[in-house]
Amino acid sequence: MSTDAAAVTGFVALFALMMLRVPVGIAMGLVGVLGFGYLIGDITPALKLLAQSPIRTATEAEFAVIPLFLLMGAFASASGMSRELFRASNTFLGHLRGGLGIATIAACGGFAAICGSSVATAATFSKVAYPEMRQHGYPQSFATGVIAAGGSLGIMIPPSTVFAVYGLITEQDIGKLFIAGIVPGLLAVAMYIATINLIAFMRPHFLPKTPRHSWAERVQALREIWAVVLLFIFIIGGLYAGMFTATEAAGMGAAGAFIIAVVRRKLSRADFWHCLVESLRTTAAVFTILIGALLFGYFLTITQTPQKVTEFLTGLGFGPYGVLILIMLMYLVLGCIMDAMAMIILTIPIIFPVIKTLGFDPIWFGVIIVMTVELGLIHPPVGMNVFVIKSVIKDVKLSTVFYGVMPFVVTDILRLAVLIALPVLATWLPSHM
Amino acid sequence: MGRSPVDRFIDLIEVTAAGFLAVVTFLTFVSVMLRYFFAWAIPDSYDFTRLLLGILIFWGMAVASYRGDHITVDLLWSASPPLMRRAMDVFSALVTLLAMTVFTWMFAEKVLNTRADHVGTFDLRQPVWIYFFIAWIGLASAVLLLVLRTVRLVMSPGKLVSHESTAVE
Repeated sequence: MSTDAAAVTGFVALFALMMLRVPVGIAMGLVGVLGFGYLIGDITPALKLLAQSPIRTATEAEFAVIPLFLLMGAFASASGMSRELFRASNTFLGHLRGGLGIATIAACGGFAAICGSSVATAATFSKVAYPEMRQHGYPQSFATGVIAAGGSLGIMIPPSTVFAVYGLITEQDIGKLFIAGIVPGLLAVAMYIATINLIAFMRPHFLPKTPRHSWAERVQALREIWAVVLLFIFIIGGLYAGMFTATEAAGMGAAGAFIIAVVRRKLSRADFWHCLVESLRTTAAVFTILIGALLFGYFLTITQTPQKVTEFLTGLGFGPYGVLILIMLMYLVLGCIMDAMAMIILTIPIIFPVIKTLGFDPIWFGVIIVMTVELGLIHPPVGMNVFVIKSVIKDVKLSTVFYGVMPFVVTDILRLAVLIALPVLATWLPSHM
Repeated sequence: MGRSPVDRFIDLIEVTAAGFLAVVTFLTFVSVMLRYFFAWAIPDSYDFTRLLLGILIFWGMAVASYRGDHITVDLLWSASPPLMRRAMDVFSALVTLLAMTVFTWMFAEKVLNTRADHVGTFDLRQPVWIYFFIAWIGLASAVLLLVLRTVRLVMSPGKLVSHESTAVE
């Protein structure tokens, strides 16, 4: 069998195994090792990879950034910081038409600054913001749509697990990637709020107003969130100023979130262990894929798949932006069947050389990829955030959430276009580090 | 009703690995504080942290394998009838078991080679093989638990809840 035929067979086997529900990481590792062994004509060196590669990945100090940021988010969730953020934004914005939706987006943005997970953000605000919106007469589709969209901010506004994984795979500075996510993240918040304003303008009776809060209430609400703000400034400021590495920032963030929760008596012993176990489980799931991807990488290298894909795509004559749009369309299609993290880990080793050859900035491309994943989290048929909301809010139909989130899908596509047209929005801040 | 010995065993692995994560967090935090305020580093804290990370990941993989927490593509599974789902779960468990068994075997060689080579940590020259061995225990547990999972899936699938895939983004 030729190398090309072996590569195609390897990919077919990989997708067949994944479709049969073999864990993505296991499928990648299995195909990687067997494919590598087949092509070199000896299974022993391929098996030796199993002795060397996984432990090297698992003991890579930089990779500690993933469990530590996950833990920070878990502590932040468990200690009720989301509720305080929502209360604070509600006191300032709730009285506007559609104000509770705007407050939800603002609070999601704030929570994203201490929690790197979109799914956690969506799940948390389904409990915090949804009952409040429904109580004040907001339509179910709008309330859930806002939460699904706001939840997606979790991976754009730093810290972000997806940025961390992208940085680890492509050997880009994770600190720079985090900083690069700030402006696009704030742009996302602004554009979501503009979308709500537009809905309120076009359908004035669709979204109610709530009573205006007094300044005393606002000051009181602000007092409750100072610790969250301080933690974010400390972590991101420390990264920007070069005070600590991304891994250290993650460790400081996790410890900081823990200390804040304990000082405020918001974290019981059971909560503490629950946070650790939850972070451990997600860490194991992510690392299984990372290890599998590295093993699969040997197969990709020996079949020269990345080079061939690069040659193919650049030879199409579509120009750099044409190829970029093609790649993003591929991600949107893949996002319909695959978990976003698995999709990134599987495809980035193949796509990244193409991006470098086309002359795009790797940090900017990281932002574009995260935005594409954000879109995948809310667009039909398998937007993960939508399913998470459905699992928390039992009485809502999936179609209702998808209907509610559609205006924000359009907003996300517009934002993607803005970021492609103006890469400086992502590259300006990190260029000053 | 009390928890079965298997459940208690898996809880023990999970809580111990979670404890390792707490130690990694604590060490990272303390190392930064000591560096800034006392210009001092704990000897071997770097090596200790990364080796502990390896242990907690391998132990975490044991838990994930048993509980079905790994990230999977559920498109076909969720659209299949119950019998087909069960067949896919068994197939998936068998493939995972095969892969983890070979991995565990090969990593045992790595542990032995590291011991024979007297590989030590950077500052205190602690033997690295001990950490690798503890990590290997996680893998060996994974194999054991996967055998149990497969048997349970075949004999009494009700005892195992097959989850939708874990979402991590």
